[in-house]
Amino acid sequence: MSRFKKLVDIKNWKRSSKTVAIVVLATLALVFLLSAINVSKQDMLDQASDSVKQIIEDEKTSSRKSLTITYNNLGVVSYTSFTTSGANAIRESYVGFAGSIYGADEGAGKFAGQMVNYTYRMLGTGENLLHGVKLTLLLTTLSMAIGAVMSVFLALGKISENKLISRLSSAYIFFFRGTPLLIQMFVIYFSVPGIFGFSWRSLFSAGDPEAVYKGAFIAALIAFSLNAAAYCAEIVRAAIQSIDKGQNEAAKALGMSYGQMMRTIVIPQSIRRMIPPLCNEFVMMIKDVSLVFAISLMDITTISKTIMTSEGNYLVFVPALLIYLVITAILTFIFGKIEKRLSIYE
Amino acid sequence: MSDYQHILSTEHLYKSFGPLEVLKDINLAVKKGEVICIIGPSGAGKSTYLRSLNQLEKITSGKIFIKDELFLHREHNRTIHRAEPEAQKAMLLEMGMVFQRFNLFPHKTVLENVMIAQVLVRKKTKEAAQKLAEEIIERVGLSDKLDVYPSKLSGGQQQRVAIARALAMEPEIMLFDEPTSSLDPELVGEVLGVMKGLAKQGMTMLCVTHEMGFAREVADRVVFMADGLILEEGTPKDLFDHPTNEKAINFLKSVL
Repeated sequence: MSRFKKLVDIKNWKRSSKTVAIVVLATLALVFLLSAINVSKQDMLDQASDSVKQIIEDEKTSSRKSLTITYNNLGVVSYTSFTTSGANAIRESYVGFAGSIYGADEGAGKFAGQMVNYTYRMLGTGENLLHGVKLTLLLTTLSMAIGAVMSVFLALGKISENKLISRLSSAYIFFFRGTPLLIQMFVIYFSVPGIFGFSWRSLFSAGDPEAVYKGAFIAALIAFSLNAAAYCAEIVRAAIQSIDKGQNEAAKALGMSYGQMMRTIVIPQSIRRMIPPLCNEFVMMIKDVSLVFAISLMDITTISKTIMTSEGNYLVFVPALLIYLVITAILTFIFGKIEKRLSIYE
Repeated sequence: MSDYQHILSTEHLYKSFGPLEVLKDINLAVKKGEVICIIGPSGAGKSTYLRSLNQLEKITSGKIFIKDELFLHREHNRTIHRAEPEAQKAMLLEMGMVFQRFNLFPHKTVLENVMIAQVLVRKKTKEAAQKLAEEIIERVGLSDKLDVYPSKLSGGQQQRVAIARALAMEPEIMLFDEPTSSLDPELVGEVLGVMKGLAKQGMTMLCVTHEMGFAREVADRVVFMADGLILEEGTPKDLFDHPTNEKAINFLKSVL
């Protein structure tokens, strides 16, 4: 039966699959409902105290802006704060949830408001693509993808009978595993442009306000990919070499070339064995992304540190940790599925 | 009639693993359609000899001829002569090999195992490869297992698939390297049955085996090897009933 037919044939689903489907659908429905009745920015403005409203009125006629309005919408829950600076500064904040607005200046409301605000900032919502969670996901996914492809060639190179290729591959792996990723990134971000006389930001048009970040991202992507390739190469090599030699012999006895044997017999079997350590590598890299703080990029860790320093709220790490846990959980789930899919023949 | 005398022959074949000499001066010539069983104690070099024939082991010295044409000549680990790459590939494809531990491709179904090399190496279309594969799988009696993965088969069934996989390349010689040694005793019969069928159809076969009954019944010639040497050879009747070499006498005493 085709995969699609199996999917449509709901009656014959496994009981556990049905349970999962119901829970997921119910959650999605709840999220959709809560988002639909979430408090809008206008509702929040209406809720503001008279003094805030007065300032808003004043600002309409004056060129001086003194009020800062923050509106963070996370879908199911939103947060608004009104702040002014100077003497008699106003600080007012509200949390909106399920159609109601709650004060967020003290107690549980304050905690909830801060969490929403911090999560919003770490997710990088409303910011550019290279910020917060988006930066972390983009950098890890791209560099793991590039690194994985490179690693297959490095691994085959290392086990190659050609001494030169083997030594070059080994040297590459030795270098990138033997030096800190941070310095590798520094070399690519600072030294390479210095030596070749260009700057990373100049890769993008001069008028692009994000050119600095995009340039730094390219440098980080190169460093992370090169580094991931070295670590993955060892995983790939170990997996390839763990395949029974009898498989090579059978392929040779059938007249297959080395390339055919690797492509159709050895590598397909070894991929399943690579999945758990590759998942491990992926999860480690998600956290290594925090090194990009050193070249002016802001990932989850960097943002939480910044908030901690500027606002002195040690609770900022709660949403940071939760975000990492959610990403890791999703990733582990996906890799587990892939492993299961690849194990059908066992 | 074939236009060659021997389909496969070796002259002065030597093979060492480091200081260990495994094959010492092996001379053997196989005629088309002949079934030869190689017997002998373990460590005699029987498997190494078979593996040397289809280049899974590099011989140290000696000559290998296929259809009277020099395929490989080496002296002291140096290649003196080797057939052209294309001819070499064609000559190697004349030999099909069946291993002791089956070595089926576990990620491919029975049908795919038998098809894959036909498509990749013989450059056949999928349709043609599948047609031949289904025919051969039927001959080894596993038509109901086409879409099954090897892990779901018994040892005997796996070995029959392995035989089918080798046959699908349409070799002229089949090399069997202890094909029943890793099977449960009750599964040996089905594999030997397939091999007997092949012998009857006139396939040239070289079998390293411990199945003396099979050797006696099917072989045209039995070769006794020990310590890297061929110590005795002859018809099954001669060798089993009137062995002359002392080691052969002792070996046969211990296994029969």
